[in-house]
Amino acid sequence: MKKILLTLVVVFGSLLLAAQAQAQVVVIANPSIKSADVSKNDLRDVFTGGSSSIGGSNATPVLLKAGATSDEFLTVFIGKNDSAFRAGWRSLVFSGQASMPKTVDSETAMVDFVTRNAGAIGYISKATPHEGVKVLAVR
Amino acid sequence: MKSMFRRGLAAGILAALTVSMGLYAQDFKIGTRTVQVHGFGTQGFIHTNDNNWLTMNTSGVGSGAFTDVGLNMGMQVTDNVRVAGQFYDRKLGKLGDWEPLMDWAMADYRPKPWLGFRAGKVKTVLGLFTDSQDMDFNNTFALMPQSVYPIDLRDSTIAHEGGDIYGKAKLPNKLGSLSYAAYGGRRADNMHSGYPYLLGGYGITLSSYGGPVFGGDLRWQTPLRGLKVGASRLNQIITGKGAFAGGPYEEHSKHDWTNQYYGQYTANKFHIESEYKRYLRDQIIFNGTAEIETDVRGCYVSGGYRINKWVEAGSYFSHYRVYPGGYTATTYPEATTHDYDKVVTGKFTINQYFTVKAEGHFMDGNGSALYPDGFYTAVNPTLAANTIGLVVRTGFSF
Repeated sequence: MKKILLTLVVVFGSLLLAAQAQAQVVVIANPSIKSADVSKNDLRDVFTGGSSSIGGSNATPVLLKAGATSDEFLTVFIGKNDSAFRAGWRSLVFSGQASMPKTVDSETAMVDFVTRNAGAIGYISKATPHEGVKVLAVR
Repeated sequence: MKSMFRRGLAAGILAALTVSMGLYAQDFKIGTRTVQVHGFGTQGFIHTNDNNWLTMNTSGVGSGAFTDVGLNMGMQVTDNVRVAGQFYDRKLGKLGDWEPLMDWAMADYRPKPWLGFRAGKVKTVLGLFTDSQDMDFNNTFALMPQSVYPIDLRDSTIAHEGGDIYGKAKLPNKLGSLSYAAYGGRRADNMHSGYPYLLGGYGITLSSYGGPVFGGDLRWQTPLRGLKVGASRLNQIITGKGAFAGGPYEEHSKHDWTNQYYGQYTANKFHIESEYKRYLRDQIIFNGTAEIETDVRGCYVSGGYRINKWVEAGSYFSHYRVYPGGYTATTYPEATTHDYDKVVTGKFTINQYFTVKAEGHFMDGNGSALYPDGFYTAVNPTLAANTIGLVVRTGFSF
């Protein structure tokens, strides 16, 4: 019985560690955004519709469909869960203050979209190849 | 026939919403531009222990005549230009009557973050929630504090036909940011709204109600993250026309203004807000033969805490008082000049599309004197002083 419990603890512990190791999000931007970094507050403003610029450059948020990377980004950088985050955007849409940001289906599509669109800013997991975009350090 | 048409149209909008949701067909192209389609709808049920509330027969088993739907389309034309609009339809007891409305429709040009222009039928910025009060999915409460956001009078401040100048600018020295909006235009009320319904109880049938409006809003996002404070002002010159006792009827504003002051603090799972609103209307009524002043003062304190991703608990205290100018307290019993509403709410977020709310209202007073406040004599031959209400409201949006 003890062995079974020990095995379960080891398995769940390993899964937890693996999940944490995997869940590392980086913020990526089209090179048209001049800044090399962005404050957490400015990032939150852009991704909640409160601002459309970073360091004087136009910034257009791009969203990733719901999943682990998106959840981590929203939790760590925006401070909202997926439902609350999207409800906030819909609120802007229904009051005529904004259009809903583009949502892409995969991290590869995110890199592709951000590469091709001036001002685009998004997020991916660290492990995803991201040639053609710049990684913004979040202060 | 007209009612059938309206119901058919409402059913059509509902069907369009459902299909859009089911197929996730949320956008289409016009040329190279993408048109986004979004929608929302709610269905509510209200039961009260006494007094019929919001023109529904709530005091029996309750009423489910509490439905609204909206269908929204928007297109980003260029980086700085956007066009958008929204249809809205509702049934709230005797109000709304399934008459579909162009809720708002506008073009927006914003060359700079600190300078933008909106024109068309534009949502009016007044206090924290006037322009977002319909977004049930985003509000903690099934019914917003009725002292400041009376759902039966939604039409009166929701939008104006005209233009806005607006913008947002960061302040130096990390002092936060300022947002402003200044507007002017015209308001035209729907004849299925609360005020025409109230006058109907006195034998007056309005055929039009509206006029020029102008105002502004200034809000400060303070250096303390999540804290904002602001003030709004609305001036109106309103004329109502219709019929009374077989002849024409007219009333018009002598003075008609609203001041609203507000503050809100949000932090991760928690929010608290408070507003104070004073609405003063001095009207020349009955074709110029009489003058009546109504001084409505409302305020509330509300808050909510998200316990987990599915459940949020909230509460508010809403304080409403009407001061009928030129009348004595004996003319209007105390209970008819106030409504103090204590509310507790549970909001359940099923997923990003669906919410369910259950809410208890404990009301002291019915505020039924002179100006609408949810309780109408037309559906309440006698009005009790106090009311306890249960509100359940489900909503979806996409």
